[in-house]
Amino acid sequence: MATETTADQTEEKKSSKLEQTNPDYDPNIVIETQNLTKIYRDFWGRQKVRALNALDLEIRKGEIFGLLGPNGSGKSTTIKLLLGLLFPTSGRAMVFGENATEVTKNERIGYLPEESYLYKFLTAEETLDFYGRLFDMPAKVRKERVQSLIQQVGLTHAKRRQLREYSKGMTRRIGLAQALINDPELVLLDEPTSGLDPLGTREMKDMILKLRDQGKTVVMCSHLLGDVQDVCDRIAILYQGDLKELGRVDSLLKVSEETQIRAKNLPDAARAEILEVIKKHGGGDAEVENPKSTLEELFLNIVRESEQRPGQRASGNK
Amino acid sequence: MILENFPTFSEWILPGIALFGGIILVAVLLGLFFGYVVASFRYGPFEAFYTVAQVVGEAVPDFFNTSPKRVMAMARLAVKEALRRKVIVVAFAIFVLLLLFGQWFMTSQTEKPEQRFINTVMFGTQLLTLLTMMLVSAFSLPEDIKKKTIYTVVTKPVRPTEIILGRIVGFGFLGSLLLLAMGLVSFLFVSRNLTHNHDVVGDTQTIASLTKFEMGTKFSPETGRRLSDNAVMEGSTNTVSGHSHRLEVIEFLASGPDDPMVSGPDVVDVFEKSNQTFVHRLICLPYGGHTHEVTVDGKGDDAKITIGPSVGYFRARVPIYAEKLRFLDSDGKPSDKGLNVGKESTYRGFIDGGSPLGGASLSRANFFYEGITPDRFQNLDVIPLELQLGVFRTYKADIQQQVMAGITFESVPDNESENRFVSNMENFETNEYQLQVRGVNRKIRGQILAPDGSLVEQGEYDLFDDFAKNGKLKISLACLDRSQYLGCAKADIYFRAGDEVYWWNFAKGYIGIWCQMMIIIAMAVAFSTFLSSPIVMLGVIVMMVVGFFTPFIRSLKTTDWDAGGPIESFIRVVTQSNMMVELETGWATTLIKNTDAFINQRLSDLTYLAPDFKQLDFANFLTFGYSIDTQRIVVAVAVTLAFCIGLTLLGYFSLKTREIAK
Repeated sequence: MATETTADQTEEKKSSKLEQTNPDYDPNIVIETQNLTKIYRDFWGRQKVRALNALDLEIRKGEIFGLLGPNGSGKSTTIKLLLGLLFPTSGRAMVFGENATEVTKNERIGYLPEESYLYKFLTAEETLDFYGRLFDMPAKVRKERVQSLIQQVGLTHAKRRQLREYSKGMTRRIGLAQALINDPELVLLDEPTSGLDPLGTREMKDMILKLRDQGKTVVMCSHLLGDVQDVCDRIAILYQGDLKELGRVDSLLKVSEETQIRAKNLPDAARAEILEVIKKHGGGDAEVENPKSTLEELFLNIVRESEQRPGQRASGNK
Repeated sequence: MILENFPTFSEWILPGIALFGGIILVAVLLGLFFGYVVASFRYGPFEAFYTVAQVVGEAVPDFFNTSPKRVMAMARLAVKEALRRKVIVVAFAIFVLLLLFGQWFMTSQTEKPEQRFINTVMFGTQLLTLLTMMLVSAFSLPEDIKKKTIYTVVTKPVRPTEIILGRIVGFGFLGSLLLLAMGLVSFLFVSRNLTHNHDVVGDTQTIASLTKFEMGTKFSPETGRRLSDNAVMEGSTNTVSGHSHRLEVIEFLASGPDDPMVSGPDVVDVFEKSNQTFVHRLICLPYGGHTHEVTVDGKGDDAKITIGPSVGYFRARVPIYAEKLRFLDSDGKPSDKGLNVGKESTYRGFIDGGSPLGGASLSRANFFYEGITPDRFQNLDVIPLELQLGVFRTYKADIQQQVMAGITFESVPDNESENRFVSNMENFETNEYQLQVRGVNRKIRGQILAPDGSLVEQGEYDLFDDFAKNGKLKISLACLDRSQYLGCAKADIYFRAGDEVYWWNFAKGYIGIWCQMMIIIAMAVAFSTFLSSPIVMLGVIVMMVVGFFTPFIRSLKTTDWDAGGPIESFIRVVTQSNMMVELETGWATTLIKNTDAFINQRLSDLTYLAPDFKQLDFANFLTFGYSIDTQRIVVAVAVTLAFCIGLTLLGYFSLKTREIAK
């Protein structure tokens, strides 16, 4: 309770300081980029590649924002620019109203890199303890937070094993835990589901949604379209460094000229009647059929059932 | 031991701070200039100005907001990394193995076993510690950057100062542990190898085991070796640790039956002859810098001899050196450097003993001491004075015959109108670099001289109450052999105020290695912010080599080159001009010489960028058995701190201005 109060006070203090120094600062805008450009150069200063070109972006508090695009489209570069790992060639990147190269902004940020770049010689507990220390967390709070996060990501059984013994999925989980060690307001996730099995992917997606429910802002980049569609509120599509599309997922994916009707336990007579009504009103290519589940849902159902009834096997002649 | 002039901390600190501040200022200005030039190419001249200003503006809060907790977190990580990679354990195991096998080749069958053992362990410790810590620190940050683990660190509220200081502190702590372990093992190793006991050769371990002969016999009837002047018996100990000692019973004249010598533990016999008391004492002759206590129990031939533990090893003498040394030439006129005896090291100055035709020389080496008070010598009646002089012979003659020297003690009045106390000359013989240990009686015979040199009175005077009444004392050294020369430096004649606890002095010797190690670590960490591991190692090794040869490199600047500096030499090569011929005077020559002088000075300034490792090396003090002056330790730690601060600044700006990601 005391910690929460202190955190709130710190946030208030920070916001008010920024408001004082920057009258344009809107606390609802977490990330803002203006004309953000990144050009990679060789040793002699010659241009090698334009990784990001004049990106203008605003990400608001409490949303899940997805950066989408094929490999080399500039997603990771954008994240790195926002974190201050790269310096912009031109334009600017602001996080919480501060320049992205400012160290102080990191107190409110959690970052899960593309691969979990963690110290393999540390155990899970030591890893989280180390990152906790970097936030100057008091020992008691740090210990509680470490245990809570280890439990949250399901690594209690392996918390004293060195990370070099971890599978890729386990490493991603501990990576996520380190990103959340400071209870951040903004979480940046670079390919969060990469290397995870369907179960881990689902858990990661559930975790992202949970973070949003806690009022946190999440920015993720991925080239796995399904994952982005499942969790993101808004997306930006990048291609060869240019912003090609930006908007809400539901409105971007909405097919305006088609209508979908869903109902449970509808008799055949009613189906025929519906088709008649559609024809009567001039609707073309009308179909009435049972919807299909996704392969992900089927897989997860099987895994859940197997956990409930171990030993049950499928016959091979289906 | 060669001991170059060394300032005290208070003398050193102001010029030291000025030099440090100057280097930092120049480095910052150059950094800003080059930073601006590079940024101008990237962003244009106006944007570059803001970029540089931003870096400078962020640097100040970065330094002030550096969190000790985060530094310690980074340090803990560095320690865990090195421990789990087992580098430190391997280095320690190699050291132990080296000692185990090295022991085979380091027997005490040598002239100076203590020096050999200490040299070996100190060199081994220094080499392994410096190399190990260089390897560990050179690979740490580049590996983090290469494996991108640093992404998860710099995206936390961690400042570059914390990353650099954390590593320096962490590796420093680990290196200190390694050094401590090596020091303990070395101490045990040296102690174990030098501590030993002997038995007397013979069946009975009694006086009967010794061979008797007439006093005055010059050579041993048994071994043919030269005997001491008043020896009456001789024997030998068995061989232990590769050596044995000769035992001699020597006749001494005691001042009376109450003389403390009469009741000593080594007395074989006491007898009266011609109303005088004589004592026969059993002496164990020194070998390899040590001897043994001898105890004789009983009387006559059946008296039992016990040889005790070794004496003479593990010393940490606390010397009181002269504040200044002044020479007088053959005519008694003041001279800066002493006499020239050819192309010899300039460390020692020489005085001559006159010539067969010209008579005795007035050449003297005058040592001026301050703070000579009885409490510094525990109010002893006999004050230990030690001398180690160079000898330059112009003829050999009997090479075993030593060169004759003499010393006198003189008071140094504060006022020239005061009378002076001058002692009678005490003569002694010496060989080159032979350590002379003399006891100076507190009561000294001499005279009082008026300011004009006339005799006031003669008598016996007190060293502290009369000669050194104001704490000042002068020792005047004369060479008494014609055509021979004595060489001396300021540290060659000193009073021995007492001995420091040996293990503490041994530990102080390791502080020097610790300082070197910290500079190496800071250097490797700072370099690794902008170089890859192999290049870091190469850079650090170059700096180490320069560091160990800094005195030589600095001496190059002070040498007067016959052909001038680089520009003048080049002109001479092109014009095929003889290097002994002066260039034509004129504005061109002035310009060339001034440019050379400027280049020379700048090159000399550059040498201060490399640490002077010789200044941080205290091994010689241990090797020669001297206490390490605290002033030296304080200066060494201050130098180390200055390097660590400078290198942290370099690392900070390098890390701050580079892109961590690729």
